[in-house]
Amino acid sequence: MKSIALSANSRTLFRRKGSRKVRAGGRIPAVIYGRHNPPQSLELDAKEFELIVHKAHSEIILVDLTVSGDDKPARLAIVQDVQHHPLTGATLHVDLHEVKADEKVTIEVPVEAVGVPEGVKTGGGTLEHVRFRLKVRCLPKDLPDHINVDVSALKVGDTLHIGEIAAPEGVELLGDKKIPVFAVAAPVAAEAETTAAPAEGAAAAAGEAKQPEMIKEKKDDAAAAAKPGDKAAAKKK
Amino acid sequence: MAMMPARVKYRKMQRGSRTGIASRGNSVAFGEYGLQALERCWMDTKQIEAARVAITRFMKRRGKVWIRIFPDKSFTKKPLEVRMGTGKGGVESWVAVIRPASILFEVDGVSEGVAREAMRLAASKLPISTKFIVRHKLT
Repeated sequence: MKSIALSANSRTLFRRKGSRKVRAGGRIPAVIYGRHNPPQSLELDAKEFELIVHKAHSEIILVDLTVSGDDKPARLAIVQDVQHHPLTGATLHVDLHEVKADEKVTIEVPVEAVGVPEGVKTGGGTLEHVRFRLKVRCLPKDLPDHINVDVSALKVGDTLHIGEIAAPEGVELLGDKKIPVFAVAAPVAAEAETTAAPAEGAAAAAGEAKQPEMIKEKKDDAAAAAKPGDKAAAKKK
Repeated sequence: MAMMPARVKYRKMQRGSRTGIASRGNSVAFGEYGLQALERCWMDTKQIEAARVAITRFMKRRGKVWIRIFPDKSFTKKPLEVRMGTGKGGVESWVAVIRPASILFEVDGVSEGVAREAMRLAASKLPISTKFIVRHKLT
C-alpha cells in the first residue's frame, strides 16, 4: 500500500468543549500514538481527510503525516480508527497509529466476497457474510486495504473458514483457522411464509389477550409487612 | 406472532424518557443494508410486524432479515368513557422505544435495489421517517 501525504496541526483545544470548537472550524480532532513516541493531540483539515478517505477503497489508509511546527520528519502512520456521527455520518475523530516501515503491524482488514456462489445461483440459497473483518499481520508496505475472497464455488450448506482463505503476499492471517467467514444457507422453507400469513390475523386477535408470564407479580406478605417497620426504624435514626 | 417479552417482573411500567439519540444499536451490524430511524417514537408490535411482513413479502423469501428492535415496554390505556382515577389502566400493547439513529431492520443476501424497495415498503408501515443505509464499506 502506498502512503499518502497528510498534513496536521498540533491541537491545543481538548475535551468535549475544545473538540467542538475544532469541528466548528472545519477541522477534525485526531490523535497519533505508537510504541516509539508519546501520544500527541492533532487536528486535521476535514476536507483534506475526507478527500483521502473518499478516494481510498477502505479506511485502512497509510499516511505520511507532517505536523506543522514539528521538527520531526514525516511520520508513517496507519488510520487506526475513524469515529462517525451515527446520524449525519460526519467524521468526529481520527486515531492514527504511528508505525515503522520495517516493523510488522497487526490490524483488522475488511473482507469482501467476489463472485456469486453456485448455491445461490442454482440452489436458491443465501450468501451469509459471517465475519466482516479479518485480523492480519504484515509490514506496512504490504498492508492490503481489503481482502477479496472468491466464493463462486460455494454450494448450499458450504462454509468458508479463515484457514481456507489465501492471504495476499507478505500478509499473515491471524485468528482461529476454523472461524467461518462466508456461508451459503439453505433457502427458507416455503411453509414458513404460508404458516406466517394466516397467523397474522390470528396473532393480532390473540395478541390482545395473550400476556407475558409474570416472574413475580405480588410481593411476599412477609416482605410487605417488614417494609413499614424498616421505614419506621429508619425515621428513628 | 405478536412480539412481546416471554416473562416480565412487572406488568405495568412508567413512561420513561425518549431524549437523545441512540448510542447503541446505531450501526448496521449483521446485514448489508439497514433501515435507520430519523425520529423518536414508541413503535408497537403491530407496526413492527407489518414492516417485517412487507419486507419478507417483497423479498419473496430470498435473503435474510434481522429485526433489530424488540417491544419490551408495556403501555396502558383506560377504557373509553371511564372517569379518571381508580388506578392505572390495563396493558394495551407492547412497544419498543425508538430514538433517532436506531437501526430498525437489516437485510442481506439480496441486491441493493431489492433491499431498497423492501425497506421503502416497510418504512411506509412505520410512524416515523427513516433512512435506507448501506453498511459502511469503509469500516
